[in-house]
Formats: sequence, C-alpha cells, structure tokens
Amino acid sequence: MRRAAHLTRRRLAATLAVLGLGLALSVVGATLVGPAPASLARALAPGGAAGPDGIIIFRTRLPRVLLGAVVGASLATAGTALQGVLRNPLACPHVLGISGGAALAGVLAILAGASVASLAIPAAAFGGALGALALVWFGARAGGRTTPHAILLVGVVFNTFAAAMIMLVEALATYTQVRGVLFWIMGSLSTQSYGLVAAVAALALAGLGWLVRHAHDVNLLGVGDEDAYELGVDVEAVRRAVFVAASILVAAAVSVSGMIGFVGLIVPHLLRLLLGPDHRLLLPASFVGGATFLVWCDALARTALGAAEVPVGVVTALAGAPFFLVLLRRSLRRAAA
Amino acid sequence: MRGWRLAAAAAAVALAGCGEPPPTAPAAVRRVVSLAPSCTEIVWALGAGDRLVGVCAHCDHPPAVASLPRVGGYLAPSAEAVIGARPDVVFAVPSPGNHDAVRAVEAAGIRVVVVEEHTLDEVWAGMRAIAAALGLAAEGERLVARVQAELEAVRRRVAGRPVRRALLVVGHAPLVAAGPGTLQDELLRIAGGENVAAVTGALWPRLAVEMVVATAPDVIVDAAMGGERGDASVFASLTTVPAVRNGRIVPIAGGAFYRAGPRVGEAAAQLAAALHPETAPAAGAR
Repeated sequence: MRRAAHLTRRRLAATLAVLGLGLALSVVGATLVGPAPASLARALAPGGAAGPDGIIIFRTRLPRVLLGAVVGASLATAGTALQGVLRNPLACPHVLGISGGAALAGVLAILAGASVASLAIPAAAFGGALGALALVWFGARAGGRTTPHAILLVGVVFNTFAAAMIMLVEALATYTQVRGVLFWIMGSLSTQSYGLVAAVAALALAGLGWLVRHAHDVNLLGVGDEDAYELGVDVEAVRRAVFVAASILVAAAVSVSGMIGFVGLIVPHLLRLLLGPDHRLLLPASFVGGATFLVWCDALARTALGAAEVPVGVVTALAGAPFFLVLLRRSLRRAAA
Repeated sequence: MRGWRLAAAAAAVALAGCGEPPPTAPAAVRRVVSLAPSCTEIVWALGAGDRLVGVCAHCDHPPAVASLPRVGGYLAPSAEAVIGARPDVVFAVPSPGNHDAVRAVEAAGIRVVVVEEHTLDEVWAGMRAIAAALGLAAEGERLVARVQAELEAVRRRVAGRPVRRALLVVGHAPLVAAGPGTLQDELLRIAGGENVAAVTGALWPRLAVEMVVATAPDVIVDAAMGGERGDASVFASLTTVPAVRNGRIVPIAGGAFYRAGPRVGEAAAQLAAALHPETAPAAGAR
C-alpha cells in the first residue's frame, strides 16, 4: 500500500508510455524477422503488396505478430488480476479450469469433423471456456459467497478432469484424428485474419477496462477479505467482476491460440517486482508487457530452428520456467532471512 | 525414443534372423495378432487374413478386419487382451506406447516380431519378416515384387515429366508437412515430385505460413488428417504461390498415404495423379 500511495498520474503515464513504445518497436521488429527472407522496402514499393514480400509481411507475419500481442496482453492481464483477487502467487490462467474447458470443447469440435482452419474451433473453444467459467464459479460458491481457496480448488480439479476427458476422447478417436488434436492442443499463433485479431483485441481492451475500474478494490482485497470489507469493499461483487473479466480474457486468448503457458504467470510476477503491487499500474502494464513478451517469444519460435518452427509454448516455457525458479528462490531466501 | 527404435530394429533383425529355420514349425503359426494397421494389411496381403485372431483398434483395412476382435489401441495395446487371444505370433511396430505391452507379451513366452516402417527398404524387410514368421516366405517375395512393380509403373508413368515442386500437408493449423526422410517423401520422389519442405531438415516440420510463399510449390498435396482436408482457406491469400495461382491444391484421402504396407504403390499413384494429372486422366484422388 505504501507504493500505491506513490502512484501519480505522471508515473502511470510515463511507465505506460515507455512500455508502449517498447511494444510498438517490438511489433515492428518482430514483423521484420522470420524463417523466409522478405524485404519491407520491396513490400512497400508500388505493387509490392501483391508480391511475395508483401504477402509474407502483410498477409502472414503482421497478423500473426498482432495476434501474439493481443493473446500475450490478455493472458498476462488475466494472470495479474487473478493473482491479485485470489491472493495467490501461483494463480494463472491455466489453473482455473478455463483453458481446460476451452481445450475440451475444441477437441470435441475437431472430432465432430470441424476444420481446424475454420472459425468453428475458436467458437467452440470460447463456448467451452465460458461453460467452465460458470461451472467453476458456481461450483465454488456456497451460501452466496466464494473464497479464493474454493475457486482455486474447483478450478484445478476441473482442469485435471478436462485433461482426463481429452485423453478419453483420444482413446476413442481414430489415429489420424488424434494426430490432429495433438497438433492443435500444442497451440499456435498462426493466423492471416485481421478480423480475428480485431475481435480478440476488442474483447481484450474491454476486459482491461473492466479490470482497471476495479483495480483499487483489488488492491484493498490484498489485505484480506474481512479487512477489505471493513474498508468498504463489496468483496463478493469485486471478486465476481474480476473473475468473470479475467476469464473472458483467457477464453478469447485460448480459443484462438491453444495452450500457451507461462505468459500469465511470469509477466505479472516480473512487473510486480519492477513496478510494485499497485494494480492501477500493474494491470495496464501487464497488458503491454505481456504483449511484448509473447511477440518476442513467437519471433523466436518462428526463427530459432531455421525453416521449421517450434511451438511457441516451448519458447515461453524455456524463457519462463528458469526465470520463475530464480524469482521463487529469491523470495524464499528473503522469507528465511 | 531414437534409442528405443534402434533397439527395436536390432530386435527385429534378431527375430527376423530366427526365421530360417523358424523356431516354430510354420504349420503351427495359426493364430496371429497384429498391433499395427500396416502389419494387419501385410498379413492380409499375404493371404493369411484368416489367421488373425486380434488386431489393434486402428486397424481398418481391408474392410473385412472390421469384425475382428480388438486388442487395444495402436498407441497402447492391452497385453492382457493380446495374451488372451492365445497367439502363436504377434506383429508390432516400434512405438513408445506399446513398449511395455510388447515386453509383457514376450515375457508370457509369445513370439513378437517387430518391424520398422519408416522407409521403403524397411517396408520390404517388414513384409519378408512377417512372411517368414508365417511360414510364407515365397508369398512374401511375391508380395514385395508385386508392390515394387506397382512403384515401377508409377515411375514409368511420370518418366520424362518435369519434376514438380510439392508441399505434402499433414495439418493446417498449425501448418505441418511431411519432411525429408519420411516414407511419404520417398513416395513423392517416385511420383515425380520434389519436396519443398526439404529445406527444414525435419521429419514432420511445423511451418510458418510464410514458408509456403518462400518455397513456392507447384502443387500442394493436402493429406491433412482432420476435418480441414480440402479447406484451402489457409492458402487462399498466398497468390504468388504457383499451386494457389493455378488451383493445384489437391486433397488426397489419407488411408493409403500413411500406411507403410502393401498400399504404398496406391499412395504413389495418388501422388502421381496429383502431381502429373495429365498422365492419368481417369485416376483422381479417390
């Protein structure tokens, strides 16, 4: 709370301006690199947009980079909000059952014969995520109240259940269907649709706006439910608003990109370390920081192996897991001292 | 996994070596279990389909195998079901999923013949090993000769034609292709094609869509495994790619394409029809 008092309009604006500039440069930089050689100059030359350079840069790379930015922004913002409102440093988009619900619905749609290249899969996954959200929320509620503890437990249980159901589906499906499912579940940011990017971006911005409105209450929740209540916070209403908004961010992200881990876990932690615990700054900073992080992870995924790519989730894990361990060791040592 | 494949190859060689003289008299091999679709097809093509007393859940060809008892999935067979079928011999391909089950079956004193299926040479070796285990060595040679003749016919059909640069698509989202070193790559070359995914050096590379633009294939063979086969939306905007510009995105049914068995000739013919349609006006993509 001490730091929160120090948050001035000027500091908020300056921090977000720096992060925003970093994101803008990252989007441009990541669009200039890829497994195939492409020249921006040739793409921008008269008639160049219809040539190979133009098609590579504007039809395949830029939409993918932008989708990475939007998905990274959504996952990191949701992670920050969930860690704050559940007061749990391990809370992340993938432990709450939402991604499990999305994956299960997506897999069922693939088995029903839907094309993974069509919008039917994201639509099904989004529906599955909302279903999981309702299930977790009402499953964790008793007597008109929820506790962070119950939400986490029900979420983890539902995620494990969804994973088991996916295994069941795989056991019943044909071999070629299983291969298709495995590829899809690994996650990818590949898209050529600016419309899809715009739709996810609109949801992401709406979610961010909703969360920022509650940022001050999330700060107060940090002292515990009872004390927050004493301070005049409608604990249940705030928790519901934040949980629903974060879940919709995750649902949109997972339904278009599959399971991309670590973004929603480490970006919030890193920014909390750098910027302090005030959610009025942390939430928008996570939005921009998460976008930047995933844009670069996907740039690495596209180029690290040369002509073939690696799943972007591999890169986020390789970058994220060691970093997270270092962070954890640091806080453990501090707690022991 | 590579280590296990090597070990399995060694085991296959050792077991195949046991073929002459066979440890069990050929006449005694009456009950056969197959743990892989390709092995089932080979047993059937050898005329020993009536000896099959159990097949894996993914064995679907020829259609007559539909009525046979199942002994678990291709990825995870049930040792109990295999042993319960009281087979004289079990045929399998190396896979991490069937490792434990195969060991358990062997521990029960049942002979297991493991065959590789990653190249045409391994397909021929597999046919001969299975035939020898069934006491049908002569039929095995005839089968190898017949399928090799089918491939030769495809080679002749495309002889003198320009080599077509092709992308063999296995999945659309993410985009996955058959790369160099796969059986499919080998069949593509026989069918008069050159694999543009060779630049990746990976067996089943994931490709960024821009690589399709950069490699500019003449033909895109769409052998996608899921419901997306025939959905060309992922390629539609890549208008500088000859395959897209000329409408040469050809879906082919995956049945024979992914089976390292007696239908490799059929798969090569499908590819030849996709790459050089002018050589076979009647033969389409099934």
